[in-house]
Amino acid sequence: MSSCGAPAAEGGEALMQKRQKYDKSKNCVRCKDNIGNIVVRHAVYCKNCFSPMIAAKFRRGVEPYVNEAPKGRRRLKASGNILVGLSGGVGSTVILDLVNQSYFAPRTDTPGGKEHPRFNERIWQKGFVCYVDISAVFPNMRDRTNEVRNAAKTYDALEFILVRLENAFDDSWWTSVGGKPSNSELFVDFADQDLLITAISDSNTDPVAALRTFISALPTQTAISQAIPTLVRVLLLYTARHLGVSHVLLGTSLTSLSISLISSISQGGGFTVREESDEQWMAPGSTTPIRIIKPLQDVGMKECSAWAWWHGLPVVQKEKLPGTGQDIAALTKDFIVGLEKDYPSTVSTIAKTCAKLAPKHGSVRRCLLCERPIQEGIDDWLTRTSIRSLSIGNTTPRFSTARLTPSLCYSCHTTLTSKSSRGATKSTSSFVRLPVWLSAGLQSAEYSMFQIPDERDQPAEKTSAKDTEVWQTRKIGQQEMKHAIGDFLIEDSGQ
Amino acid sequence: MASENTLKVKIEFGGGLELLFDNKRIYDLELPATFEDDQPSNVDFLIRYMRDKLLKERVELFMEKDTIRPGILVLINDTDWELEGEKDYALKDGDEIVFISTLHGG
Ligand SMILES: [Zn+2]
Ligand SMILES: [Zn+2]
Repeated sequence: MSSCGAPAAEGGEALMQKRQKYDKSKNCVRCKDNIGNIVVRHAVYCKNCFSPMIAAKFRRGVEPYVNEAPKGRRRLKASGNILVGLSGGVGSTVILDLVNQSYFAPRTDTPGGKEHPRFNERIWQKGFVCYVDISAVFPNMRDRTNEVRNAAKTYDALEFILVRLENAFDDSWWTSVGGKPSNSELFVDFADQDLLITAISDSNTDPVAALRTFISALPTQTAISQAIPTLVRVLLLYTARHLGVSHVLLGTSLTSLSISLISSISQGGGFTVREESDEQWMAPGSTTPIRIIKPLQDVGMKECSAWAWWHGLPVVQKEKLPGTGQDIAALTKDFIVGLEKDYPSTVSTIAKTCAKLAPKHGSVRRCLLCERPIQEGIDDWLTRTSIRSLSIGNTTPRFSTARLTPSLCYSCHTTLTSKSSRGATKSTSSFVRLPVWLSAGLQSAEYSMFQIPDERDQPAEKTSAKDTEVWQTRKIGQQEMKHAIGDFLIEDSGQ
Repeated sequence: MASENTLKVKIEFGGGLELLFDNKRIYDLELPATFEDDQPSNVDFLIRYMRDKLLKERVELFMEKDTIRPGILVLINDTDWELEGEKDYALKDGDEIVFISTLHGG
């Protein structure tokens, strides 16, 4: 291994000297005896010590979110079931293996074997693996459901659940997961800044067609690659609620978390930056939240891939979206992956820095599209449209002239409209069906579209002062991140 | 058995990288034991050989600036190549080199 001096000859312009890839010796930092097999952020591990190290990190990422069993026994008991979101990618494949190994498979290495109390009383009564197939989004995408199903078959203690992206526009799916049937479908015109809602009763749109119209009406490639994970996430959440799940586990690695943090902030998601790494979702009408955990958020893609390789896991691979590669998420990915190779510790610094960027105030409302909290107070556009909505005539059906905008978070509103990038060519309005949960949310009595923040809110003058503070906090956060990633930020060119 | 002037190495692909190599996961290669100025053939030589002789498409998904692209894990006889000197590792007869793409997350 060359010392610090050598790479300068190749790199030429490199300002920061590359560190040697590992500290001190080639021996494992754990057992000290074996020659190492892998370098993890400068630390060397042998194969024997690598797997327990990752498994321990995984459990540390899960178990603090589970309640202890009653009667003071030192055991954990979850209030519901567990669901693993399987994408076919490496991270979620590894998570599934770890969930099975840690909580469901009979352990052979403990004295007592199957008689061990651990197996008489599982932390989660039932385990599910849920795959959301997105292949219908574009006509030429391959459906990998069978491969993913086969990959999941090895883990027979966990039940396989298939959801398809078009279920987001499917009333029969919605009622099958316990949603209230609705007597009309809601449509919106993305070309209109206020997102006017039109209710059409007795229409019966084909879910795949509705999905494709929704996607093709989005203004940019970046919006498409942001909208799809949002739909996937909410489909998983409603599936989880229906299955009595208390914990949803996602395979987001440190690398992919850093990518989504940076790309989310750059697309107006600063307020919910915390939700990227740790999130609780309260289903409408429910009293117990579902915890969404990313137990590999401190484990890089390199370690995930090594685990999958050394454990012989079937990694199906995710289907790539056509046309991606130049959007914000793809460019951020290239940047982070390159950074991780040469400066592996920097990537975990990104995640840690973002963890500190928590907004000071809670939110009283949730966004009806992504189901995440809406930042209160700063939304100039929200106030404006709310006031204008008071002049709506009353003779028309309830939603025919309502606006969707006040029910969306800033990030989702940007995704749907991103007016800066809407070319002048886009003058034709296209009516797009809204996802089923969004329709249900708008029509439910529980959620009032023009709801004024409740008693937790401050008197008017005070509110504005506090709001400024919230805004400031967020601004500084962005500045910090901007500083951290320097010249890599790009303008969304609207391709 | 490889002769004195050649050495046999096995290369294997994971994480979808085989798609760039004719969708074949394993190649058994017979390489010259030395190249250019009688240097022993090393991993640097191997990846250039792979680029020139085996790669079917999109070199940028495999290489960047004369080395392996970031996001590809390389194992030499089951050990991270970062512990083996990366490109400078001198190949030995019977070596197994694995290239795994780590780029597909989630
Ligand atoms: Zn060890
Ligand atoms: Zn939203």
